[in-house]
Amino acid sequence: MALPLPPGLTPPEIAFICEMELVTIIPRQRLEGLELLGGPLKPLNPPQRASIPLWLALLLKRQRRANIVPPPWLSPDSLSAILKYETEIDAFSPPPRLPPLPSGTSLVFSPPFLPGSTADATADALPYHWLELGSMLLEAAPEDFDDANEVRKLLRGLREARMAKLRQGVEVLDAGGGVKMNGVGGMEVGEARTFITGVVDGLRKIGKSREEARKERDRENGYSPSQDFDDDEMDMR
Amino acid sequence: MAFPQPPRGRYAHAPGPTFLAYSPNGQKLVTAGVDNFCRVFTTGSDDEPLNVDDCQENNLAVAAGNDFFITGAEDGTVNKYAMATSDGDGGDILWRSTLPIRDVALSPDGAWVAVASDELVVHVIHTKDIQMVKRLRDQNRSVRHVSFNKSGTQLAVSCVDGSLYIYSMDSEEPELVQKVDDMIKRTEPEAESSARVLWHPDGTAFATPTGLREMQVMSTGDWAKHKTFKTEHRADITAAAWSPNGALLVTTSNDLSICLWDAKTQKLLKKYDDVKATILAMAWHPTQNILSYTNNEGLLYMHTNFVPPELQHFLRLPLQAAPYFHNPSEGRGNSPTTNLVNGLKHVLPERRARAGSADSLDDLLGDEFRDDDLDMPDEADDGFVIDDDGAGYTNGLGKRTNGHLGPLESMSKRRPTAPVFQPQIHEPFQPGGTPWRGNRRLLCCTLLGYVSTISQEGTHYTAEVRFYNDREYTNVRFTDVFGYDKAALTEHGTLFSCQPKGSIPAMIYYRPHETWTTRADWRTNLPAGESVTAIALSHSYVVVTTSANYVRIYSLFGLPLRVFRQKASPVVTCAAWRDYVLTIGNGPVSGDGTSQLLYTIENVKRDEICQSEDIVALPPNTTLTSVFFSSDGDPYIYDSDGVLLTLLHWRTNGQARWVPMLDTKCLSRRAGGGKQESYWPVSVSQDANGKHVFHCMIVKGSEKYPTHPPPMLSEFALEIPLSSAIDKGRQEKEPDVDPMFDEEEESGKKPESKQQQHEQDYILSSVLHTQLSETISHTRPTTYQKQDLSNLDVQIDRSLLQLLALECLAGEDRGMKALELVTLMRNSNGKMLDLAGKVAERYNRDMLRDKIQELAERRLMSNEEEEDEL
Repeated sequence: MALPLPPGLTPPEIAFICEMELVTIIPRQRLEGLELLGGPLKPLNPPQRASIPLWLALLLKRQRRANIVPPPWLSPDSLSAILKYETEIDAFSPPPRLPPLPSGTSLVFSPPFLPGSTADATADALPYHWLELGSMLLEAAPEDFDDANEVRKLLRGLREARMAKLRQGVEVLDAGGGVKMNGVGGMEVGEARTFITGVVDGLRKIGKSREEARKERDRENGYSPSQDFDDDEMDMR
Repeated sequence: MAFPQPPRGRYAHAPGPTFLAYSPNGQKLVTAGVDNFCRVFTTGSDDEPLNVDDCQENNLAVAAGNDFFITGAEDGTVNKYAMATSDGDGGDILWRSTLPIRDVALSPDGAWVAVASDELVVHVIHTKDIQMVKRLRDQNRSVRHVSFNKSGTQLAVSCVDGSLYIYSMDSEEPELVQKVDDMIKRTEPEAESSARVLWHPDGTAFATPTGLREMQVMSTGDWAKHKTFKTEHRADITAAAWSPNGALLVTTSNDLSICLWDAKTQKLLKKYDDVKATILAMAWHPTQNILSYTNNEGLLYMHTNFVPPELQHFLRLPLQAAPYFHNPSEGRGNSPTTNLVNGLKHVLPERRARAGSADSLDDLLGDEFRDDDLDMPDEADDGFVIDDDGAGYTNGLGKRTNGHLGPLESMSKRRPTAPVFQPQIHEPFQPGGTPWRGNRRLLCCTLLGYVSTISQEGTHYTAEVRFYNDREYTNVRFTDVFGYDKAALTEHGTLFSCQPKGSIPAMIYYRPHETWTTRADWRTNLPAGESVTAIALSHSYVVVTTSANYVRIYSLFGLPLRVFRQKASPVVTCAAWRDYVLTIGNGPVSGDGTSQLLYTIENVKRDEICQSEDIVALPPNTTLTSVFFSSDGDPYIYDSDGVLLTLLHWRTNGQARWVPMLDTKCLSRRAGGGKQESYWPVSVSQDANGKHVFHCMIVKGSEKYPTHPPPMLSEFALEIPLSSAIDKGRQEKEPDVDPMFDEEEESGKKPESKQQQHEQDYILSSVLHTQLSETISHTRPTTYQKQDLSNLDVQIDRSLLQLLALECLAGEDRGMKALELVTLMRNSNGKMLDLAGKVAERYNRDMLRDKIQELAERRLMSNEEEEDEL
């Protein structure tokens, strides 16, 4: 039998991956350096800012040992600018620009290892984990935001605008169709996956009987592309 | 004067809402009501009023200038009539609105009229040229009231949805200054209850009726709520008015009573219960003791001697300050510098307030024959100064105040009347301390934490010390009866000071955080009459500068160690770090009329002066905002232009030089130009990566000071201003056009920005290197410092090496510059010149490589020679 879970990642799994993102905190307590699996952590000296993984930041925040500095794109100003872009322009807002590749090293940068959510991230682009990171920060540290309610509202607006776009893209998802998914975030991919695969599967099922009938005909007549083409033409009429 | 009679109502209009306005000179009183005429009453005359016919019906608002008045009617027209003639010159239509007019307001100079209607937009129309219209569009609902402040620079708009909008009218295009949401009540457009903004005559505050039937005062300095008049009206307030000098407030409501309040104490002085109908509009006569009001029955009352004789001294007071908890401009002047005149005029004995002359004509004839009662057509010509608009021309005794006199000139009559040269001095301030914002105030902000105080109803204060590292230190909160107004904070303790109050002298209070015995906090009094101008706390000393120009230095246990008089005076501020004390005072007057600031740095322990009376380099029209020592122990200043400067070579006498380390105007976050914010400096220290950063609090909008609770600290990397922010902004923006194609674009434009980056690295690390090597040569260096120094050495060479690579890439003809870069290298680890040679080789610059080799050999030789000599 099939797995009980749907294909792809479940939302908690995506959120778990997102917890590797670096965020900026202002520690409120001295902490010695830690040797973590993900790399060494510098000692924390209040009120010096530090960039640490999100999971640790959430832990420290819960114990009230740190304040989280929301990334610049989580400010009402930049969110409303991005929302305006999303509502006016047909494509998704572009993801943050990749930094120039460090020459000589084989280290390849991809979202969890990019500083996309620290205090010095770009303000005008949503990083890959924007939705899950934003909602986790809003849940754990609403008092560290200037205007948490406004941010929450804008995030919800953004999510709806972008999901609507994704669903609209499904309309062209017939055989050979495609949707450009540049700038779509991790959670959105996860959310849309079941729907899109469902649609594609459904389309295939609808087309299946016709496909089989054609194959049948092909076998009877002996396969010939030109004839096939003619048959199609006949069908159309 | 006759016994006060109950006021006699005069039938001004048919029963219905009636409104009135006094002309600014107080001679005429205009009423408007449901009738199709307006009436012009003359003050002090019982004759029949002048009727101005052919007006619109159902007038809902009226405003008056000296020779014309303006009405707003329910049919949506705003008309202007001449005061003198009975037909009002026919009446010019100034504005026609589609919806009923609710209010009109005339600017004090009579040039502009603001029109509130049921439309969302408030129109401000020029009274002479109706083509000139300003539009205020920020309202979400229709507007009930508009009112200009006393100088006409700001317009307050009361909206039916309970919001106030304050616009600045200075500029061509009016700008929304502030939106206040929680002051006035939501009302219907036709409601009788008022939401009008009443500007206090001193121009720095206004009052509005609130939903709780109170009069709430708000300051325009900090947009904080100040004192409240807790009226006992049993219904909504329908009208209110400040007396012309701001000392009295009168309110009335639907419950048919008029209350008179003392503005200073907010106490009820008198209550009139004999009101027949709801009063809708109320106005004080600009100079006399007359309150006129109109009600919703069409009656006009001119209540002469409204203020009873026993209270009339209130009316003779000069212009009073608005009732604040704390004046927001106190502590740090809102104006950057103050006149010497203001500071000295109460001190000089010959400049005390002039008493009224004995047996003067006014005295003999009594109050009713005072000058201002006469209706003089043109007061300006006869040289008499009459305080008819309450602006403080006279001191309440019929004499001029001293404000018009020059500061230090002799009384000789033959002085030429050229403008008097008035030197301006810098006000004293406490680094990190803010003025009062509402009832809160920050006394000091450091990297360790901050000290704040909250005023509790003016009787006592709650002082609070909060740490960013709240595990290591415990936050402190205590009740303060002395009113501490300055504080300083270090790892060891907190220092407070308070000003002398009456017979209690000024006091200093030191409170250590923790000790191994019982906590030994101590207090010391200063000599009577001496007040504290600034305090500073270091790891080993307490520094106090006082109004008597003394610098007093105590040990951390309260032992006085030094007392000396500061050479540069008056004192401005001070700062301290370990054994070093920096004091700043006003020095000689420079070309632009402001006094130059002079600083002195000395080492208390060794008793030697590092810098004596050197100049704090500030450009003209700039003031000092803060002075502090960085966590590495280098002096930094932050000026009102937003530039952070450090003092280089400050331990060597005569060598000190101010170096800009960061210009906050050039920050990349300001590049778009849309952001209006300022930065409240806190400190400079190294961040987690060892880079030097400027810690500050971001203050949004036009406000300059953070409030309690302060915003989170922000960090900005130091950046010596080399290129302007606009350049950087463009470089950041252009590649954003399409993120997919930036790879190609980058290669095209990178070298330039890369070069700027490396140049920035080079000069910044050189400055920091100089700073650190000075520190190391004067103190016992720690291993960390030594490590930092060699890191900086490497950093300098690395940036030079990268610049060299760019030069080599650029072409053969840049060889000279490339060689210059190589000669600048410090080569501390001996490998850099080899690396430079390799770079030249990689780009096939053989000539250059030979030259570099030559240079390396020469250096090696000279090093060996030096070693031989040793």
